[in-house]
Amino acid sequence: MECRVLSIQSHVVRGYVGNKSASFPLQVLGFEVDSINSVQFSNHTGYSHWKGQVLTADELHVLYEGIKLNNVHQYDYVLTGYTRDTSFLEMVVDIVQELKRANPNLVYVCDPVLGDHGSMYVPQNLYPVYKNKVVPVADIITPNQFEADLRISLTDSLLGDRFLVSLGSQRQVRPDGSRATQRVRIEVPKVDAVFVGTGDLFAAMLLAWTHHYPNDLKMACEKTFSVMHHVIQRTISYAHELAGPGRRPSPPQLELRMVQSKADIEDPAIVTEATVIS
Amino acid sequence: MECRVLSIQSHVVRGYVGNKSATFPLQVLGFEVDSINSVQFSNHTGYAHWKGQVLTADELNVLYEGIKLNKVNHYDYILTGYSRDTSFLETVVDIIQELKKANPSLYVPENLLPVYRDKVVPLADILTPNQFEAELLTGRKVNTQEDAFEVMDLLHKMGPETVVLTSSDLPSKKGDQFLVALGSQKIVKPDGSKTSQKICMDIPKVDAVFVGTGDLFAAMLLAWTHHHPKDLKAACEKTVSVMHHVIKRTITYANEMAGPGKRPSPAQLELRMVQSKADIENPAIVVEAKVLHKSSQ
Repeated sequence: MECRVLSIQSHVVRGYVGNKSASFPLQVLGFEVDSINSVQFSNHTGYSHWKGQVLTADELHVLYEGIKLNNVHQYDYVLTGYTRDTSFLEMVVDIVQELKRANPNLVYVCDPVLGDHGSMYVPQNLYPVYKNKVVPVADIITPNQFEADLRISLTDSLLGDRFLVSLGSQRQVRPDGSRATQRVRIEVPKVDAVFVGTGDLFAAMLLAWTHHYPNDLKMACEKTFSVMHHVIQRTISYAHELAGPGRRPSPPQLELRMVQSKADIEDPAIVTEATVIS
Repeated sequence: MECRVLSIQSHVVRGYVGNKSATFPLQVLGFEVDSINSVQFSNHTGYAHWKGQVLTADELNVLYEGIKLNKVNHYDYILTGYSRDTSFLETVVDIIQELKKANPSLYVPENLLPVYRDKVVPLADILTPNQFEAELLTGRKVNTQEDAFEVMDLLHKMGPETVVLTSSDLPSKKGDQFLVALGSQKIVKPDGSKTSQKICMDIPKVDAVFVGTGDLFAAMLLAWTHHHPKDLKAACEKTVSVMHHVIKRTITYANEMAGPGKRPSPAQLELRMVQSKADIENPAIVVEAKVLHKSSQ
């Protein structure tokens, strides 16, 4: 498999968010990953302290220029996630558009990180950029409910309040040329903890599994959600061990058990079934 | 296995040098890798063009401070490589000294630099110089295998217990298609006396310029000495074997990409790292290390 991903995300020295969360699993699955680090921080911002440096839109452009001058700017996928800066985001859009001109089959996987549970955790002025410039060039997006801007609340999970509901929708072209939309629904077991980097892992794994199942969203979602489940279960078990009985694990203790989950990443046992709706 | 490595090396967007070369294979072998990127470049400097940014000594300090403030500055290994900036290197030295105080059994492998022989090498436990670097550090020329042993013993005296001369221009008994690598590890015998185990390897040459192989070597030597701490022969056989598999896969692919009769470009010669995962996890041994005379120190 000769598949190259350009991933433009954060780098943390310690832990698994952004490029740290996306690169290893994609590489384990055989993808070549070129990574541009949008920031370099000591760790994610959920710890008591965090320190580091950010890349400017100009610096991003300079790095891309280097790749272009060497004529190696051919990518099959672009992957982006958390961004705080509108000019940076706009530069990303320019790069994606240029890469799509170089390879019209390029797939842009975008996690439109804006916020969650009713509130934004990036500057407000990113919202119009995502809506008007980013999403129109994206091929796969992974919003949460808040980011998708739904006015209605989703139905509760049929399995009870220990589950959350995830929905997927894919526009497909049938063999006879007619168009269809496949919609799937997944009931995902909740875990009582705050994980960081899981969205980044999710987007990376959805990239990988839609690559292997480009016309079968049900299968791609089952693999993706199953990997998430294995990594999260391993993480929460380990975190509780470290924290001790009756104590809530700390952010360092809750870092994803990524390298330990290599086998699950390579070949995830399916633990959740997606239902095809219409 | 719960083993955490702090790796302070370059990052390239594309390709496999520095942290890009060291991180994936270590993670595949189950090591947790915290990585501080000393630079971020588009690609290594062997391409026609390269662009990017460097980390200053202050910025390095700031990142380390973040780790320290969270009280997560506990490492089993440190790995450092190519560095061009002396003030950056001085900051790396300070960090290493602090980490060693917190964890005295911290292992510090280090790619050699001609500068800072007085500060860096004394802190190192495992050293991976090539012949040129070993000569520079000790001020002695290597013309024979005996010279090489003397130089490695001098390096032991400067600090590191394990020294691997990753390549030399000593003649190989197998002919000119091979290069000679040597290793030396100080060990304490059951009766308490000190000695060193010296090994020799004949490594098949490949007619190409690879970049990032030294970084991969140091990372894999870290991994395999971790699993074979008192058996330099086994550690080196695994390390050199991984190198062989990755290099063979890389040169085959590069020649395919370049086409018959054409020399592959730097882009085509990037290590086939992710494709070599199985070899990284469990390298078939393709080079045998010979244990040479054991000498008393």
